[in-house]
Amino acid sequence: MKKRYWRCYVCNDIHYGVAPPELCPTCKVLNAYVEITAEEARKILGGGPDTAMATEDFRAAIERFTVGNEFEVNPDADKVNLLLTGIFENDKNHGFKFCPCRLRTKDWEEDLKLICPCNFPIHETYKGVKDGECWCGLFVRRK
Amino acid sequence: MAHLVMFYGRECPHCKKMLPLMDKLEQETPVRFERLEVWHDEKNADLMRSYREAIAPKCGQQLRVPTFINADTKDAMCGEVEFDKLKDWALQQG
Repeated sequence: MKKRYWRCYVCNDIHYGVAPPELCPTCKVLNAYVEITAEEARKILGGGPDTAMATEDFRAAIERFTVGNEFEVNPDADKVNLLLTGIFENDKNHGFKFCPCRLRTKDWEEDLKLICPCNFPIHETYKGVKDGECWCGLFVRRK
Repeated sequence: MAHLVMFYGRECPHCKKMLPLMDKLEQETPVRFERLEVWHDEKNADLMRSYREAIAPKCGQQLRVPTFINADTKDAMCGEVEFDKLKDWALQQG
């Protein structure tokens, strides 16, 4: 199923998926999404205020992301700092916050799976593993 | 001697842990590794991609680092491993 871009006609939220949300999570209007092109989505997403994210903002974002999940950001600060350096180097050099512990294949769909945070709960380093962690070790199962 | 290659990422903590183990292994044995960084050197990255069929089945179907590969036989091992496992693998390569 091919993913497409959708825009809320009320608040201009952008959704990327095989189908639009029934309820807009921002303005709470029902059936508000209309399909748009990737180019239109890029213009809307890139036309706002500076969207660059500092390392500390990303660190805070992934901390918030783990709240309510069974995993947490690794308590090993040195490891996390090294990984964040790599993630931001990859963002600068390769356009996305790719995992520093895998290599992009140059296949668009495959490489989307390497953007941090990735879907690591399905990986063999985490799924069903008592002390599971994502491949790079940025996220670890909560004790 | 087999041509052994280690593909690594400069900011990969697993790779950082393995590099001193490789130094130790090279001091103790005739084994030698070519160390190739893949996130800051596109030529090295393309070389690693060229081994994808050999690497992926051993690495969760992905190109993960660190990866150790015998460039001649394409036998590969990936991830952070204990020194003895690294040594056994390297010595088996001949």
